[in-house]
This record gives sequence, structure tokens and C-alpha cells, in this order.
Amino acid sequence: MPSDRYTDVALEEKQRLFNEVKADARYESYLYGCYECGICVAACPSARFYDFSPRKITQTLAREDVELFYEQLNDDVWNCSQCFSCNRCPRQNSPGGLITIMREVAVKNGLRTTKEALAGYTRIIYKIMTTGTQVSPDMLQEDAFPDWGPQVKAVSENLDVWRRVLPPETLHTTGLSWQVEERTMHELYAIWKMTGCLDMIGELDEGLHDIMEEIMDDALEESGLVAE
Amino acid sequence: MANADTILIVGAGPAGLEAARTVAELGKKAILVEAKADLGGTPYASYATLTPDLKETEASMKHMLDAVQQNPAVDVRVNTRIVKSEGALGAFRVSLSQESKETVEEVGAIVVATGFQHFDPGRETQMYGYYEYDDVITLVDAEKMFKEGKVVRPSTQEPPEKVAFIQCVGSRDRQIGNKYCSKVCCGIASKQSIEIKRMLPNSKVFIFYIDMRMYGFWEDQIYWKAQEEYKVNYIRGIVTEIIKKGDKLLVKGEDTTMGRPMEVLMDLVILSVGMEPSKGTIEMSRIFQIPREEHGFLQVVGGPLDTVSTPVAGIFVAGAAAGPKDIEDSVSMGAAAAAKAVGVLNRSALHV
Repeated sequence: MPSDRYTDVALEEKQRLFNEVKADARYESYLYGCYECGICVAACPSARFYDFSPRKITQTLAREDVELFYEQLNDDVWNCSQCFSCNRCPRQNSPGGLITIMREVAVKNGLRTTKEALAGYTRIIYKIMTTGTQVSPDMLQEDAFPDWGPQVKAVSENLDVWRRVLPPETLHTTGLSWQVEERTMHELYAIWKMTGCLDMIGELDEGLHDIMEEIMDDALEESGLVAE
Repeated sequence: MANADTILIVGAGPAGLEAARTVAELGKKAILVEAKADLGGTPYASYATLTPDLKETEASMKHMLDAVQQNPAVDVRVNTRIVKSEGALGAFRVSLSQESKETVEEVGAIVVATGFQHFDPGRETQMYGYYEYDDVITLVDAEKMFKEGKVVRPSTQEPPEKVAFIQCVGSRDRQIGNKYCSKVCCGIASKQSIEIKRMLPNSKVFIFYIDMRMYGFWEDQIYWKAQEEYKVNYIRGIVTEIIKKGDKLLVKGEDTTMGRPMEVLMDLVILSVGMEPSKGTIEMSRIFQIPREEHGFLQVVGGPLDTVSTPVAGIFVAGAAAGPKDIEDSVSMGAAAAAKAVGVLNRSALHV
């Protein structure tokens, strides 16, 4: 029996979200059937550290257990590291792929638990979506990464010099992980907008969405790329 | 030796039919004895379709029945029982009783193919209420409905919305005394679940199991097919008891897949009853002095390398009289037993 954490949510709403996951074009090729061999859990790095099971996610979807699906959509899907080690499934299921779809549905629908799970990632979302690169060298500050040891301080003080020592010129950057062509960036913005990825962020964090939209719209207008 | 060319075959199910046909094809005569009025045995009498191909039993087995009924080398005796046996290899004298008329036949060798009977789910530790609740039925009861082209709740005659199969009823249970797996019930339940979903696409079908055991091609032919194409729910965990709740059945068990206790309401519960030696098989053990192995079935001497020779010279066993068998095993054993029976007769004829 599912927990009583989400009894206040109507079954119709849970069913609606389940149908949205099921309607995804990838769903059919990600889910066949499960005989509970456990190979996905055995291969899963997250399962070693969290109360998380790609097998249970797959099994729940195969059973079309809507109550349990809703629980997992809220409590479990963000424990996955999306490494796809689970794809070695002998039935050719993709538990990680199913989780990708569930995450997208969770984000698009702005679930409260999703907002909470992703609250700490605002800076990373901003960086990826506006620059196409994730963690930039100037984010490596002593106070942010004390576990990286005392050398972080030394490196961060002369970051520009250290970066310029690296042989590839494209890595002589501090605010980006590597140098990104302006044209590439503009194409990326167009993709975010045209695929609806930017809109997804709107459900999650309106403020973040508005800031990024402004950056992208201005850049696209300047570039002449049409995003509609 | 007077009747060294005749082989007695007891039981006309798939194993016995194949044994009789093979004896005739190898140039000997067969007497095929069947206690019931019809040939074909348990599958023919009780199953609308066969596992794993889901083809209609009567149409599929017709050629086997024709092969013995239209064969001058096979003497078919229905409504006939074995009452006594004397003599030994090469010269058995067997008394047959047909509608209280007794005859004695002299035969050189014997193939026992008296099969199994379904486990009675009303027995002992079974808390499934088979004799209490109309909507708790067995695989056999379900097949009867399928023969009429329907699946309904016996209590209301309405189609069920939720159907549960419970596996291993009467099998793999030390409390009951049956330590063995009955081999075919996983396949039959999966086959039936496909048939139910075909008739009632909006129904939900669950199979509660200990392990699913579908060997070889049955894996993808019925197990994967049921799960992937028909969305049958396989839940690992056996139901402890069934309680009536309103007009539904409350099924209690552990969902070990999800690691939690489980209580679900069902409209129809189908018990996957296993195999036990039939009354005929036990009777043949007594009459022909064939020892029974530790599970109660007829004993064979060759382990995995000779599946049909019993400890009694000149007497062979085929099919589920020797333990749980699927139809392909039974038919293979029927032919093997016939070949070995013909072989011993040929050898004893040479010694004369």
C-alpha cells in the first residue's frame, strides 16, 4: 500500500500525470516488462547511497500503479544520477529513461517537491542554459568547496594565470568551462526556446525563467536568428 | 510366446495416444485402455486451448485421436478398467473390466500413462475459500468458461474488472506434503491471463507467484507476451488468505517486489492448482506392483537418462503418471516408452 503522504492529491490528478508520462513518444521503447532480476539496482550508484530502486520505478509503471507512481514522482526520481547503468536490463527496459520522462513531467507541472529538489541547482541551470557549459572555473572558491583542500584558495587567487597555462586556448576561460562561440550560444538559445525547455523552467522558477528569457531574447534579436 | 507382439497401453491422454500410435508404427499391436468414455485425457477433457500456442485443444489433438481410432493395429477399449495383472515380461495376463464384463488379455509389455489429477484446493491449509466463495475458481473451472467463449464472475454472471491468479496452489508446500513444482501452472495461468485480456481488454489481471517457471520458449511465447503485450501484472508474493468483503474478494499477501504488505479487492480469483498422481496412477502402482517415488508418482529407474523404464521389467511409464509433465514431455515419453516396449519384445522374441 502507498504511504499517506499524498492523500490530499486527487486520484484524477495522479492519473493525469501518469497519462502524461505514458503518452511520451519514448515510453514504449523504454518499458517492456520486469521479472525483478535486480540487475538495474545492482548497477545503480544511487541505490548504494539512497533508498532508491530503478527496479521499483519500472515495476510501478509496468503495473500502472498510479498511487505509487505519484509517490515516486515526488520522492524518488531526483535520486537518480542519470548515468544509465541500468540500461543493461536483459528485458531492454530503460529505467533511467523512464525517470527522464518522469522528471520532465514533474518539472513541466511545477510539482512542489520538484521545486524543492532543484532549488539548490538554480545557479547551474542558469549557467548551462545561458552558456552551454556547467561548472565554470570561477565557481571554485575556497568557501564553496572546502572539501577540495587548501590548494583551491591558491588556484582561485591566480585563476586567470592557471587557466592560461593549459595548452588548449579554448580553456583560457574563467567565467565559462571552455570558450563557446557566439553563434553556438545563439543556436542553443533558439533550441531552448523552440523545444519548450525554457518554458519548463517557468513552472519551476519564474524569476530564473524571466532573467534567462531576457538574455536569450536580446541575444537572438541581435543575432537575427528567429526563434519562432 | 502367444501375445508377444501386443503391448498394453493404459490411459489415452497425450502420452498414451502417442505410445499407441508409435507401437503401431513400429509394427506391433496395441491395446489402448481408457477408463473414461472419451479419448484425449485431461487436456482434452478440461482445457479449451493448449499451452503455449493457445490453439484449440480438440482441433490440435484430433490427429492423435484419429491415428489410434482409425488404426487396425490399435484395439481401443474405452470405459474399461484394469482389475488384475499376473505374469511377467513377455507374458503378462491382464484382466480388463468393461461395463462389468471381464476379459483377460495376454500382452508382452505394458505402458502406464494414467496421468495426474488436479490438486483439490479445499484441502487442509488452503485458506482460499474455494468451497465457500463462488468467485474463487480453479484453472479448470476457468477453462470451462473459456470453452463457452466467456469469462464471468460465477456469483453475478457479470464480467470481472479485476482478476487474480494465485500460483503454486497445492505445489511446493511441505505442509501439504507436495514438495515438487507442478511445472505447467505458471504457463497455463499466463496463457489464461492473455485469454482474459483478449476477451476483456479493460480488465486488470494480476498473477501472484513465488517464482515464475516457464522454461525454454515459454519465456517469451507466454510470459513476456502476457506482461508486455497484455499488461498482465506479475506480483511476487503469495496470498495468505481470501476474505469476502461486500460482493468482492479481499486478497491479502505480501508484495515482495515493492517490499510491503498488500490487500487488494478482486472480482474473480483463479487458483493455479497443481498436479498429483491420479487415482488411476495409484491404482496401477498397486496392480502392476510399480513402486512410487518419494513424491508419490510412478518410479523410473534411469534418473534423467531413462525417463520411462520402471523397476518392473516390461512395464514402462509415460506422461504425468511419472511426475508433473507438460504436454510436449508427455508426448515425447509416450513415443519413448513405446519404442522401449517394442525393443524388449523384440529381444525376448530372439531369445525364444
